[in-house]
Amino acid sequence: MSDLATHHFRILLVLNRFGIGLGFGEKTIAEVCNENNVDVETFLAVANMLVKDNDITEETIPNISPEALITYLQRSHEYFLEFKLPAIRQGLENVLTERKNDLNNAVLNYFDEYVEEVRKHMMYEETKVFPYIRELVEGKNNRKYNIDIFRRHHDQVEYRLKEFKQILIKYYPAKGSNELNNVLFDIFNCEYDLASHNQIENQLLIPSILKLEQKNRLKDEQTN
Amino acid sequence: MSKQIKVAIAESSDVIRTGIISILKSMNFQIFFVEIKNLQQLRQSFAHHNFDILILNPILTGFSSPQQLKKEFCKSGIKIIALQSVLCENSLMLQYDESVSIFDSAEQIISKLKKAISSPESDISSECLSSREKEIVGLVVKGLSNKQIAEKLNLSIHTVITHRRNISTKLDIHSTSGLTIYAIVNKLIEIDDIKKND
Repeated sequence: MSDLATHHFRILLVLNRFGIGLGFGEKTIAEVCNENNVDVETFLAVANMLVKDNDITEETIPNISPEALITYLQRSHEYFLEFKLPAIRQGLENVLTERKNDLNNAVLNYFDEYVEEVRKHMMYEETKVFPYIRELVEGKNNRKYNIDIFRRHHDQVEYRLKEFKQILIKYYPAKGSNELNNVLFDIFNCEYDLASHNQIENQLLIPSILKLEQKNRLKDEQTN
Repeated sequence: MSKQIKVAIAESSDVIRTGIISILKSMNFQIFFVEIKNLQQLRQSFAHHNFDILILNPILTGFSSPQQLKKEFCKSGIKIIALQSVLCENSLMLQYDESVSIFDSAEQIISKLKKAISSPESDISSECLSSREKEIVGLVVKGLSNKQIAEKLNLSIHTVITHRRNISTKLDIHSTSGLTIYAIVNKLIEIDDIKKND
């Protein structure tokens, strides 16, 4: 486990979201996961996706635990909404106070609108999609909703962050400033994180739920 | 165009598929791709995803024509690119939107793929806005609707929408709050104009 985390620093974020603390010494991935009550297969699927990007095979999907994945995604939401995005805003404020003017207000306004959009996107998942999946796991079949509705509406939430970054780089008239660069690096990182968060939803969550829906439907047909 | 492009790569050889993917990754596009090893996976993936591009070794589908494939998957908008690993009939190759050979250089493959990816609409390369477009940005930022802008400038709504689309493409800005920043930096509006709007 320590090998994995040292070689791929992004794994640190994953560990945190699975509720795994540092200080695991020489233990293997399986040992650490078991100690922390984390589903090993799900952890591996997420970690592999991050490390090797785009390496999901059909075989890994059935082994994923939807509950473990949802917990992970919820923690990621918390991370973005409660920690990362506010931190970026704080950074922006610090950079922008030098010249208090309307341009700065417009920039902050843009960022706030964006955060609101992300919040809406994530809240939809938490109030609609995740409860649906939990019911599905318990064997209840809610016919009014299915994961395909989510798949079709699932937009890329990092897209506007990319736009924001471009606007800052192209149009914000700053004299080479370490502080602004710092904020930009934060935005680059956050954009990457959000994209991989979305990738996990698209390539792990949705396919595994599709499988589950299929299984439940078959079961229903057999009992009828 | 920085929108994400969905690409399916259907090729049974691991070595060739991995090679194509590494070339795709070297391109400056946001690409989401799915690897397909056989016909069955091809069908499954098309049930789950809406691809923009299918890079396909014709051997995989028994050399059926691309039109037939598009019909089968009910995706008329998809572009199918043939990935040639053996010599194929020329007339069949011409039916594909593009064809690359495994002996093409990486540069050749990239330029062919880029040609297939970029739609004719995105050809507007100049980033400078025309004076009419600048005028429209100013009005959008002030909070006017397309209809109000059309009335004010004596244009049809359709023209205003076309202008707005071109503005978005040129600047790569797709939101009003983004245009506000652009407008302030480029002094397209008086500061008081936005304040009224608040």
